[in-house]
Amino acid sequence: MLRIENLHATVADKPILKGLSLAVNAGEVHAIMGPNGAGKSTLAYVLGGRPGYEVTEGSASFDGRDLLDMAPDERAAAGLFLGFQYPVEIPGVSNVQFLRTALNAQRRARGEAEISAGDFLRLTREQGDALGVSMDMMKRNVNVGFSGGEKKRNEMVQMGIIDPRLAVLDETDSGLDIDALRVVADGINRIMRRPDKAVLLITHYQRLLDLVVPDFVHVLAEGRIVRSGGPELAQLLEREGYGEIAA
Amino acid sequence: MTGLLDLPSAKSEAWRWSDPSAIAAAREIERPATCIDRPTMFVQVEGPKLVFIDGYYDDDWSEPEGFELVPIDSESGHPLARFANGQGYGLRFERDSAVTLQILHVTAGGEDQLPLRIVASDDSAVSIVETFVGAGWANRLTRLELGRSARIMRSVRLLQDEGFVSLRDEAEVGEGASLVSTFLAAGGAGTRIDGEIRLAGEGAYGEAGGALLARGRQRHDANFVVRHDRPSGTSRQVWRSVADDHAACSIAARVEVARGAQKTDGEQSLKGLLLSRAATINAKPELEIFADDVKCAHGATVGELDRDALFYMASRGVPDAEAKALLTRAFVADAIDRIGEEKVREAFHSNVEGWFGGRS
Repeated sequence: MLRIENLHATVADKPILKGLSLAVNAGEVHAIMGPNGAGKSTLAYVLGGRPGYEVTEGSASFDGRDLLDMAPDERAAAGLFLGFQYPVEIPGVSNVQFLRTALNAQRRARGEAEISAGDFLRLTREQGDALGVSMDMMKRNVNVGFSGGEKKRNEMVQMGIIDPRLAVLDETDSGLDIDALRVVADGINRIMRRPDKAVLLITHYQRLLDLVVPDFVHVLAEGRIVRSGGPELAQLLEREGYGEIAA
Repeated sequence: MTGLLDLPSAKSEAWRWSDPSAIAAAREIERPATCIDRPTMFVQVEGPKLVFIDGYYDDDWSEPEGFELVPIDSESGHPLARFANGQGYGLRFERDSAVTLQILHVTAGGEDQLPLRIVASDDSAVSIVETFVGAGWANRLTRLELGRSARIMRSVRLLQDEGFVSLRDEAEVGEGASLVSTFLAAGGAGTRIDGEIRLAGEGAYGEAGGALLARGRQRHDANFVVRHDRPSGTSRQVWRSVADDHAACSIAARVEVARGAQKTDGEQSLKGLLLSRAATINAKPELEIFADDVKCAHGATVGELDRDALFYMASRGVPDAEAKALLTRAFVADAIDRIGEEKVREAFHSNVEGWFGGRS
């Protein structure tokens, strides 16, 4: 589904990714772990197409299409979802308005009919309920006045409504207490653990991986994947730290 | 329609952001009134509807529902309003009346001068919706007088597609009375909105603000003064301006607090949004305070759309143009949302929408 080969990327002319390769198939959950500054968030932003993140070499394809050649909104319409480490606040635009605009734009891009107001509200209520986000919060402005945990839960509500095929989740576990972590993890499993979907879970800590058990774990250090393995690699990292393994 | 006009000079401080030469050009435009699809120009609310074509009351097009106009003579020393001096119309709202009155101003090319005098008697509650359409130079002088505890909610849309619209408001707000004026410039014409609100009675409330949307080489220019003459008055000036391409929006908002006008509460919020690097926004908040127990806040900011928000929206599948429109609408909503009447507010929002729809 996602194939990254020898990816090099710079931010403000500074090389961050230095030859990263990775293949993610449908039905798989991959975790990317690594120390601060390894390039984890850069990988997420490059896949999402954030301006300022420049690919200098290599390739990334999504379902055989050249991902790097698509605008960020086209990537979303193709089925890619980027979960933000720091979800952005948008004053004056309600969650409901934002999501309906987003969902309908994606549908239009795929040549599908727009969702009716009734169906949309049902879907929003359903996804909100599952993640403990009230309809009241959904009517509030996007992430404005939300706590860190609420913002992350809101990301998952968005993912549930948009129903992507590939989710790249950038430190979705950061800033969550243990109860919220469980809610978010349940959301990821419920929405994305399907044979036709895949997840790239970027995280610092092992605790999320106890709840969303990955099929593969990769260690990212200095812009490259230096080691890959199964879930046991995450436990090893937790015990021994990145020092040895990422060296 | 020719002949030289003695227009204000851009060399004077109050007119330095204006382009009076646009007025001369606007007078040369020719356009018949029949181009206007009149019914679509009114907000769908009950109440009398008055139509003025080229500054004259039009019997055929109006639905006054018993509302009467009286002739007036006006005199203003204002550099633009003085062209509108002379015979005009008076609108009087009797004590305790509650009504939504709509006025459609159609300018059929050339110049369109009209003085209006609006009197809201004690305890009346009036909503006035004014819409300017057509082409040419429309020039208005509006005198507003509010009696004790009278309320006027005035919502003015400048939708003329070509030419120039200049408004001059001179308002006097009595004891415990309230005037809220909201302007929206969302047409193709250049505009100049001038106003002076005098809070003449104790505990009076005055508000002037709105949204100015400009593109191409358009210029919008607002210049408002609220003067607190008596104690315990409150004023708000919330202006939002958006400039794209090579356009320019300028806002000068001033609060004056007279000696003795204690417990004044004044607030100004002037915000500008640049959609292009070649566009211009000018914002000039001013305070002049001669009392010592007052609360006056002012803020002015000019910025661009939040890039993080744009990428966030794109990552959810919202195309760039749609994301920009959504953020810009949110930006001007602060000003439009001051309109209390829901249907009127919605109509103004859809004019903002229409402005985005008209983008090339």
